Amino acid sequence: MKNTMDNQPKYINPYLGGVLLGLLIIVTVFITGRGLGASGAIKSSVVTTANTISPESTKENAYMGQFVSDDHSPMYTWLVFESLGVFLGGLLSGIIFGRVKKFRTDHGPKITSRKRLIFALIGGALFGIGSQFGRGCTSGAALSGSATFALGGVIVMFSIFGTGYILAYFFRKLWI
Amino acid sequence: MKEELFVSGRNIPNIDPYLNIWHWQIPLYLFLGGLAAGVLFFAGYFVVRGKEKKMQATVKWAPIIAPIALVLGLGALFWDLKHKLYFWQLYTTIRLESPMGWGAWTLMIITPISFVWVASYMKEIFPWWDWKFKFLDKFEAFVIKYRVYLAWVMMIYSIILGVYTGILLSAFNARPLWNTSILGPLFLVSGFSTGLAATIWISKDEKERKILSRIDLIFIFVELFLIVHLFMGFLAGSETAIEAARLFLGGQFTVSFWVFVVLLGLIFPATLETLELWGYHVPKWLPSALILFGGFMFRFIMVEAGQITRYLY
Repeated sequence: MKNTMDNQPKYINPYLGGVLLGLLIIVTVFITGRGLGASGAIKSSVVTTANTISPESTKENAYMGQFVSDDHSPMYTWLVFESLGVFLGGLLSGIIFGRVKKFRTDHGPKITSRKRLIFALIGGALFGIGSQFGRGCTSGAALSGSATFALGGVIVMFSIFGTGYILAYFFRKLWI
Repeated sequence: MKEELFVSGRNIPNIDPYLNIWHWQIPLYLFLGGLAAGVLFFAGYFVVRGKEKKMQATVKWAPIIAPIALVLGLGALFWDLKHKLYFWQLYTTIRLESPMGWGAWTLMIITPISFVWVASYMKEIFPWWDWKFKFLDKFEAFVIKYRVYLAWVMMIYSIILGVYTGILLSAFNARPLWNTSILGPLFLVSGFSTGLAATIWISKDEKERKILSRIDLIFIFVELFLIVHLFMGFLAGSETAIEAARLFLGGQFTVSFWVFVVLLGLIFPATLETLELWGYHVPKWLPSALILFGGFMFRFIMVEAGQITRYLY
């Protein structure tokens, strides 16, 4: 049972992982009546931060204003708790499969950890902006959307993966 | 103005329809008091059992938290007082039936004990330490000689302190959520668990951490058992008790209680501690941090929710 001695991080077989993810969506829809999502929690955090710093301008903001209410904090949505669960589940899986040792940064041999982190931040920010244009990220719009046979979901999925496939060529040096 | 409320006397700000006079200071104090009780109890326990050498962090290092926590907690209590300059009257009015009176005296005894305990280890912790005065050196030698007796007194008073943090609330018979005999043992167990968590966090010795983790797992299990019985008791009780339980079973405290206290503060850290005992690599600070967070949330939610529950409808 102990695979902590192994230095190579172990991950689940991607095909098995895919099937499990699909089953997870069915269970989620069954239990909560909703699909999975990830970007919503980040959005809630951004709105909460903005609301704490400047409540006036957040309420006036056409986009962020719709998530602010007097009854409860913008953090009080199921997506925040789901993301918390994703984080903890990931951690648990990391512990069981011996990936948790100390903080490390995965990156290609030609770049530094610092560069990798900067690009990850830029990529994450672009992904966040994109997810709000697309009304959800890969998990929300593409995964949950296509699981309900929504045409929009399928288009989003092809757009995300297609664009990623094309643009990967230009950023290959970050990895190879 | 709603006149029917006004005439019926159900419109008294901060008292009716519900009392809301205990703010963050009280749960913070209850948390710090329980934490100190836990840390001191196990420091005393391992000294009494003669395991001082094996459990260095538990006996020597972790107790440093206790006086700090107690002073901060007392500071919070003092902050909460409306008439701060009259605090000393707690010590001139002896009422055996008053839990606050008992608590005030318990704190009066255990706070100096925690200071004396830490002081008696100062030379071991910091070899350069010098008391400067002869009589302090003599007193130190006296404490070290009778340390086991002091440990016994400390253990007894830490149990009283731990139980008292719960009994303080359960003595309010006007608040159905608090008015249950399970609250005393529940707060005691939870406080001891947070004390253990803090000690585990501090300890660098693998063997010591394992011993403490095992004890902590038992405490978490007992705490879960008591929480289940708390709700079973409410649901088998009067309509007001059922109403109080509903706050946690579909009401406004459901998510915060079950997610932050039970899942993140008890079940998840217990899983991590079990994995750690089985030999998996777990970030050392994580289970402890979660238990401390859960313990803090537990007190916050209980104080907040208790003030909403009432007999009058």
